[in-house]
Amino acid sequence: MTPLTDPGTQGGTAVTPTSDAQPAAVLRVRGVTKSFGGAAALKGVDLDLYPGEIHALMGMNGAGKSTLVQILSGVHQADGGTIEVDGHAQHGLTVRRARRLGVASVPQRRELAMGLTVAENVLLGDLPTRAGTVHWKAVRDAAREALHGLGIDIDVERTAGSLSVAEQTMVEVAREVRRGGRILILDEPTACLSAEAANQIRALVRKLRDEGVAVVYISHYIDEVMAVADRLTVLRDGAVVRTAPATEMDHAELVRAMVGRDVVSTRPERPAPKDEVGLSIRGLTHGRAIRDFTVEVRKGEIVAVLGPAGDAQSRLFDLLSGRRRPDTGELHVEGRPVPFGRVPASLGSGLRCVTGDRRALGLVPELSLDENLMLADDRFARRRLHRRTELARRAAPLRRSYGVKALAGNPPVSALSGGNQQKVLLGKWLETSPAACFLEDPTNGVDIAAMADIHTLVDDLASRGVAVLLASSSAEEVMRLADRVVVVSAGRTVAEHDITAITRDELVATALGGEPQ
Amino acid sequence: MSVKTLPDAPGVSGPSKSRVSIGRLRDIPHAGLIVVLALVVVFTAVQSDTFATDRNIINVLGQISVNAVLAAGLTLLMTAGGMDFSMGSNVAVTAAVAAKLLAGGHATAYAVVVALLLGTAIGLVNGLVVTFTNVAPFVVTLASATLLDGVALLVHDGNTISIGTRMFALGNDKVLGVPYLLVVAVLVLVATALVMRFTVFGRDAFAIGGNEHVARLSGINVTARKLTLYGLTGTLSGLAGLMLLSRLGSSSPGGTAGLSLQLAVVAAVVIGGTSLAGGYGTVIGTALGLVLLGVVANALNLLDFSSNYQPVSVGAVLLVAAIANEMHKARSASRH
Repeated sequence: MTPLTDPGTQGGTAVTPTSDAQPAAVLRVRGVTKSFGGAAALKGVDLDLYPGEIHALMGMNGAGKSTLVQILSGVHQADGGTIEVDGHAQHGLTVRRARRLGVASVPQRRELAMGLTVAENVLLGDLPTRAGTVHWKAVRDAAREALHGLGIDIDVERTAGSLSVAEQTMVEVAREVRRGGRILILDEPTACLSAEAANQIRALVRKLRDEGVAVVYISHYIDEVMAVADRLTVLRDGAVVRTAPATEMDHAELVRAMVGRDVVSTRPERPAPKDEVGLSIRGLTHGRAIRDFTVEVRKGEIVAVLGPAGDAQSRLFDLLSGRRRPDTGELHVEGRPVPFGRVPASLGSGLRCVTGDRRALGLVPELSLDENLMLADDRFARRRLHRRTELARRAAPLRRSYGVKALAGNPPVSALSGGNQQKVLLGKWLETSPAACFLEDPTNGVDIAAMADIHTLVDDLASRGVAVLLASSSAEEVMRLADRVVVVSAGRTVAEHDITAITRDELVATALGGEPQ
Repeated sequence: MSVKTLPDAPGVSGPSKSRVSIGRLRDIPHAGLIVVLALVVVFTAVQSDTFATDRNIINVLGQISVNAVLAAGLTLLMTAGGMDFSMGSNVAVTAAVAAKLLAGGHATAYAVVVALLLGTAIGLVNGLVVTFTNVAPFVVTLASATLLDGVALLVHDGNTISIGTRMFALGNDKVLGVPYLLVVAVLVLVATALVMRFTVFGRDAFAIGGNEHVARLSGINVTARKLTLYGLTGTLSGLAGLMLLSRLGSSSPGGTAGLSLQLAVVAAVVIGGTSLAGGYGTVIGTALGLVLLGVVANALNLLDFSSNYQPVSVGAVLLVAAIANEMHKARSASRH
């Protein structure tokens, strides 16, 4: 193991029975196993965490990252193996005991009390009182101090609900650190963030490291991990494939370790787009969020709308699907006008809008995989009767062609991994003979192999002559899929390019700079 | 990533061996409810000789028939994420109006049609308010329940309305030893179960209750579906009103119908495990909930408890069942 910090930056809390020159591991996991209902989720995992390091935990959906994190934070108990904190073996770790030992985790879905202020959230469960009543000034001062100590600049009197996702993450981190968290587990802290916000988060993570916190960093973005992590542990199928300093691994090696093979997701040759316009949007305006947006997509063409997360492209789903009515604008599908603001009209025109938020707008969690897969198609076919065996028969070819893998027959869709859920969502919409498609972040939160599969599915869609409009906040994805790209920033279109006429770096610069360069 | 991401899901460990264990028995749907019901039945049967007679069992089932018709509609509605507190009060109004028509010398068929249409209309009004104003169904139907209770009092104008022997057969006769009322109730329950399991209309209810946005975006006409569901609960309320009237032979102000009836129905549906948030519900669970409440009431009666213990028992059973359901849910969630 490589020592990555000088002992001087260690947190003062660590009781370190050092016998050699290395800083002692604050957390030592040896041979941890865990199975659920006979299925092994972890098969003997080893992990060492040192104070003052950023340790990235990598792996595909279902590799066992979540289970490992849940065992470390006391949600689940390991079946076998040992966990040592500061050299003391811990048996029967519960959530409370883990917390007392300083193991804190910030989950992917932020857990703040949205109606309370930032100050209250930071001090939640530990509000200073005076004569039995809350001492508000002390609350604010303590919260300000906690945030300031980590270099976070947020007004403590704002309500948590008014914060951006990045700010919520920071507040949550500050809360955990203030509670004495010295092993901090961050689950995809930069997912769905703009580049700028992600930079802020990464700066915070580095600051935590310098303060002597051991950070477990989970992310799907390989470039990000290479940039921020000191060491990497790659899990595959519940076992550690490799643990190494980040500098000793390159991009391709990491992908191979995660997937077990090389993943190629390169642009294939697609037939040239036809001349007819499949989807045309003119002068679309909705408040300040999206202003005078115009695009034409030919049949068989993929046009990407790229912008910072939360910018104009994220409004397109609501407006095109008919959930909300824009102020002005025209929509034509295959030359026929489509009225705005009505879901049935949008569906009737042959336009299929696939949301990037599968939890809120994509799938019904309680319903089974098959039922979700056929939810739209069965309604279009105006079926009256519902029979499970027949449904399974109709769903089987879709499951196959979209590579949806469920190990337990037909489970509720919420039991599937993120990548499989995303494939169900795409299958649900793309097999309903679309004339034109709008895809919003189609690879949001899926692992790299599923991402490659989904890119192939989108290629096939365009090859079938469907006009595809793609909203994305990932420049890589745009370079991989699109024929043309429209860059939006602050609600306005700032540039339009053929994909061959621009490099990735130029694209990123345009999207962030807001001005064509 | 996703917390649910495991390389394997529960129940994958191959077909289960036929070895019986407590753990496996607990995976049977409604296991807790069945156990509680069995305990109550055994205890009462031991304590009272009359409990296990055919006559008494038919009697218990007959008594829950009216509740069963209401509970069937409510199960479907609640599965779709809706709620209706006004069904019991709807019963009070339709029963009073039907009684008045019959007492006024109108034909029975006429009174039946009017009662069903009136019930449906009341349900549709609830549905219109819920779908077009976005006020929570809880609030809308609680308001209409109170309002309808008052309307029922106005219709009675302080008098009990007797219908003599009109519709006596429906309320009191039997076919092959089974009361007509029970036959109607079972038919309604079975029909509801079939609709929920085998029709797209029923699956739409699950989809709407599970995630209304997704249902709408998937081409389900959510507004029409909800109106239909509220209309249907109204129709069933009208039917229940007629059943109640035929059993009692009269309709009296502040009688058995009204909000208190509705609370017993909601209790039965919730005991049966149907989710208050929508997206999950079973008719079997509702039927078990109805029987449990009926048996408990009957047991108290047979064991010579004061009738004042009735609401105490309903409340206690509801609480215990709700806790059991929640524990069952937490258990199955932790296995995912």
